[in-house]
Amino acid sequence: MAKKAAPSRRQLAMVFDLNKCLGCQTCSLACKTAWTTRAGMEHQWWNIVNTFPGRGTPRDVFTHGGGYTKKGEPIPGDFPGKRLWGEAWDFDYEGVFGSNRDEPIPLHPREHDGAAPQWGPNWDEDMGGGEYPNSYFFYLQQICMNCSEPACVEACPRESVYKREEDGIVLIDEERCHGYRFCAEACPYKRIYFNEQRNVAQKCISCFPRLEAGVAPACIRQCPGRVRHIDYLDNVDGHIYKLVKKWKVALPLRPDFGVEPNVYYVPPTSPLAFKDNGEFDDLNSRIPMEYLKEMFGPGVEQALATIEAEREKVAAGKKSELMDILISRNWNDLLGPFTVDPAQLQRQPVR
Amino acid sequence: MTAVTASKTSGTVEDLRSPRAAAWKNAAEVKLPLQPTPLDAQPSAYVQKAWANRERGNVPSVAVRALSVGDQLVLRLEWAAPDPRRLINDNDVYADACAVIFPSNGKDAELSTMGSPERPVTTWYWRAGAPGPFLATATGLGTVSRAAKHGLQATGEWQAGFWNVVIAGPAKSTRIGVAVWSGVSGERAGLKSHTPAWHDLKVG
Ligand code: SF4
Ligand code: SF4
Repeated sequence: MAKKAAPSRRQLAMVFDLNKCLGCQTCSLACKTAWTTRAGMEHQWWNIVNTFPGRGTPRDVFTHGGGYTKKGEPIPGDFPGKRLWGEAWDFDYEGVFGSNRDEPIPLHPREHDGAAPQWGPNWDEDMGGGEYPNSYFFYLQQICMNCSEPACVEACPRESVYKREEDGIVLIDEERCHGYRFCAEACPYKRIYFNEQRNVAQKCISCFPRLEAGVAPACIRQCPGRVRHIDYLDNVDGHIYKLVKKWKVALPLRPDFGVEPNVYYVPPTSPLAFKDNGEFDDLNSRIPMEYLKEMFGPGVEQALATIEAEREKVAAGKKSELMDILISRNWNDLLGPFTVDPAQLQRQPVR
Repeated sequence: MTAVTASKTSGTVEDLRSPRAAAWKNAAEVKLPLQPTPLDAQPSAYVQKAWANRERGNVPSVAVRALSVGDQLVLRLEWAAPDPRRLINDNDVYADACAVIFPSNGKDAELSTMGSPERPVTTWYWRAGAPGPFLATATGLGTVSRAAKHGLQATGEWQAGFWNVVIAGPAKSTRIGVAVWSGVSGERAGLKSHTPAWHDLKVG
């Protein structure tokens, strides 16, 4: 059994409702502008939304190893090179915005060496899977899961990666980090980036300075789709507890990775599939159950049945606690205890 | 055990900064054999598992020349690197590096584990493409702690399959160990080749 991180006193957790995501990347941009604009971070997308079935970010995201076997043995992983993530492209802004040209120049992205990009975050947007008329896709938010068995924490020989006692957030101490990148190999969700200029590993920090001021993380607060919920997992009156533990409709992504993630997903529902003769196939939905089980584990069938049943209840004019939570008519209800409006805060100067 | 002897020379450290400086021709060369750092000593189950079947610690030896100028010990380390890594320029690229190690208390310390809490080691670390050398202390694998100020100087040159690194800093007679990281093999942290035991260091 591998050495594991000490359990935290409380655990912050998130639920993302895949049935509501618009794929708009407001979350990704909210994060980008808040945290990853400094030198060496241009290519980093601590939060990124990808179309699935798809290859993800980095390319073929779930095939790079890491995590644990059923017996708790670490699984060797790799840290994909830049080509598989995509660089921060250069754009000819001057050409586009310059007024001294007769012909406008389209905004061609370029890699740093001038070549046309071959890959980037969410490269295969909206391609999805299946064949018409049974084609399908959904958007999947990729972010650090603040795992309860964080392989990244175990892998670091310098104890630079740690799990916070008070809320279970996993952070990298950049003062201790020597850029060895074992954490990035060990993370099965490939949610750690490398800052080449500073020789340190960097990742989602769950907006901890905002949390400490009572403000929800930027990706959650700015989501126009009301997709994202946050709270402590042990708050029995909160959305997370109710969705994960009570209604069991929010599930971990790739539970087979063995790291016990603390981001949960409400799996995507889909209409019935078409049979060859054009009739509805009463037994199968558009998104194959096999695929959903691979992504969200065996609980997905029951979760989808529960959502279906509660939807019908509401359609019949009855009340459903589950639907009320998923809809969240009052936007602040998504934010758990983190409802402070950042515009009302006395802002600290940037260090 | 072969000793490393730094004979006194006139001039300045600056004169010796280039590995091809004339003074190095007359300095005696000793060849120190290296061996891989034991895997079971690595402080992470992940590293132990991921490297169980990977090649590592395969730099067989390092050639050391030493001179002393004033209170400065100047060392020239030369080792074979047929496929050098001069720069960290991708997620999965690791740069070649070397370090000289001294027992911090001047007498004894465990070399293969980079010291222990009771017996720390001091190290001068150089890495290809990094901004200058580092002075650091360690009390075991994974504990290397870099000093903000170091008073060290270093130059590294790769030529025809070999690294030549000159590293200089204040030192008196003590014992010395050497470690080399092979970037092409993905070596970093405790994954390296190192002298299995201390060598006496005589500073003239
Ligand atoms: S998602 Fe990856 S980086 Fe985040 S805690 Fe889990 S193992 Fe670590
Ligand atoms: S901001 Fe919300 S709706 Fe838009 S991509 Fe992110 S999670 Fe989906």
